[in-house]
Amino acid sequence: MGGILCPIRGGPGSQGAIKTGISLAKDIQEALHFLYVVNLDFLNLTEHGRTQVISEEMRGMGEFILLRAQALAEQNGIEAQWTVRQGNVMDEIMAMAKEIKASHIILGQPKHTEQNVFTMERLKDFVEHCEAETGAKVVLAETGGEE
Amino acid sequence: MKIGRGTLIFFLIIAVWLTFTLVGGVSAEPSGQQMGLSLVGEVIDRQNQPVFEAQVQLLQSDEVIAEGLTQGDGSFRLALPTQIGKDLSLRVERQHFKSAEIDIAAEEFDQLVPGEALTLPTIQLERKITIAFWVATLVFLGMLLLIALEKLHNVLAALTGVSLVLGISYLGKPLFEDLFIFDFTRALQYIDWNVIFLIMGMMIVIAVVEGTGLFHWLAFFAYRISRGKAWLLMAILMVITAVASAFLDNVTTMLLMTPITVQIALALGLNPLTLLIPEVLASNVGGIITLIGTPTNILIGSYAAIPFSGFLSNLSPGVFISLIGLFVYCLIAYRKDLSHATSKVSPVLLEKLEENARIKEPAHLVKAGWVGLGMLVLFLAGEHFHLIPAVTAILGATALLVWIRPDVEEMIEAVDWTTLVFFMALFIVVGGIQEVGLISLLAQWVASLVGENLPLAMIVVIWVSALFSTVVANIPFTAAMLPVIGYLTSTVPGAGNLALFFCLSVGSAMGGNGSLIGASANMVTAGIAERAGYPISYAYFIRKGMPALVITVTLAMVWLLLRF
Repeated sequence: MGGILCPIRGGPGSQGAIKTGISLAKDIQEALHFLYVVNLDFLNLTEHGRTQVISEEMRGMGEFILLRAQALAEQNGIEAQWTVRQGNVMDEIMAMAKEIKASHIILGQPKHTEQNVFTMERLKDFVEHCEAETGAKVVLAETGGEE
Repeated sequence: MKIGRGTLIFFLIIAVWLTFTLVGGVSAEPSGQQMGLSLVGEVIDRQNQPVFEAQVQLLQSDEVIAEGLTQGDGSFRLALPTQIGKDLSLRVERQHFKSAEIDIAAEEFDQLVPGEALTLPTIQLERKITIAFWVATLVFLGMLLLIALEKLHNVLAALTGVSLVLGISYLGKPLFEDLFIFDFTRALQYIDWNVIFLIMGMMIVIAVVEGTGLFHWLAFFAYRISRGKAWLLMAILMVITAVASAFLDNVTTMLLMTPITVQIALALGLNPLTLLIPEVLASNVGGIITLIGTPTNILIGSYAAIPFSGFLSNLSPGVFISLIGLFVYCLIAYRKDLSHATSKVSPVLLEKLEENARIKEPAHLVKAGWVGLGMLVLFLAGEHFHLIPAVTAILGATALLVWIRPDVEEMIEAVDWTTLVFFMALFIVVGGIQEVGLISLLAQWVASLVGENLPLAMIVVIWVSALFSTVVANIPFTAAMLPVIGYLTSTVPGAGNLALFFCLSVGSAMGGNGSLIGASANMVTAGIAERAGYPISYAYFIRKGMPALVITVTLAMVWLLLRF
């Protein structure tokens, strides 16, 4: 086992997950990995069918968001790695967790469903599925907090 | 050799266009009976619009002695037999219209010599509301609903509409004749190929530009010259977005501007919505300056034959005033958020911003710039030698492709076929409601509402289209409104200057600011912002967007009233 996986989107909703990840990394002395997943489902709502350029733009934005999280970790004395992946958020979290053999996965616990990828119900299902598939312990972090 | 999907669709569209043009050209030829006597006339509807393909029969004691179809301009010419008796009548029949029958005195032919024609007074047909009327109307409303409620992708919703109107026409007619709306040939005639080719040409040009990193560079440039002053940054970004939207479509502009704006806002410690909302509002306002800035302008320009310079000269002052009003509003609405900006940006983040802001394909950008300039000249000058915008777009796209020599397969794939298919399907569904008479009824109703008062008509068109565009997709709405506005233009005194079309342009585009679903650009901005952790709720957008709508539409309306 090696590492803490902390998937984030940025914004106030991810601050809890970032802080929990940093705190846990300090406690158990394991590497911290931030993950941003590029997901282009929102393009289905428009006629726009081209995804290549926007995918690159989103990747750039994701890298920027992860750099900020990395900088925050460094300020707290933790060296963190980051990765941008593209695809279904849940699938990519599990794939990444398996790749780095994560011991822990930090997920933001939704306060308001619209501000999180997961609703509470879907989150519970995902936690069970994720722990069974990856062997990692899932930690739910409170979302919110100002940046 | 492997043929890509895009190439296949490209050639399919060309083939359909050519077939349609050639067949249409042949069928439009007038009948060639010149030597004998003939009977000529014109068939129109209640809105004085020509009635196309109406069957005209000359009867003698209830026996058909001559027949023909009306042409695209509603005219007909019947070749008459050499011997004409008494008891003559003319019967005119057309699907979705009540039949008309007029008596003709045989003596009128006596004074004619061979080769001459008897001209009848204009015949006006009354609309007939059949079950097909309700079917086409329900299909159109259903399509709007599916799009508004996001139950189906726009293209699927429009294709479902096409399948229903054509399927019911063909499969329903044998069971019940009144179910017939139109046949496939007639449906194709409603597709505006100028619009399709203009959009396609512009997409190829945009595909080259969007890969160059120009927007990142511009946004970073805005950040640099604003020197940490958030209000100035907001103003520059609004201007960049508005100008870019005038030449590219708003969705592309926001797809390219949103990610870099999020990064700049985060670097400055701002909530990204502080910059994103003003940007997207400016995009919806600025897009209408030119013919190619919004799909609705492309529709309006093609229908009413408004040239590139027509939009520029009639709308840019109003848009400029509206943008000033919008900027002042955004300053007030976001004054607290703007005060939170920091000028101390982390060196790591600044380095990343700089890295992202590099021009990726400088040679392509220079070539695209020259071709873009050439296209602008052709768009402006083309009206003097009848060069239609679609041809300019195709010329520009081809010139750019030949100059840059990219992988042609990739470039053809770069064309957003989903949008083109959406437009073609939309034209057919809107054609359905036009065919059965819904548009005529609507036009009559609006005409009775505004009477002969041009300022009142302008106000009604602006606000009705603005308010409708907040809840229904503005492209289908505009496509449906065009014949209505065309009718009002011909009936309201003084509207011949096309003022009402400019009102439709303003209302349908700026109305998109009233709600999140009002414009596709709003949806993609919200989609990207949500993926950066800053969701834009429907309520939030209405709270910020509705006052912007009222301010910008009012200012543009004042300009248009003064102008016309």
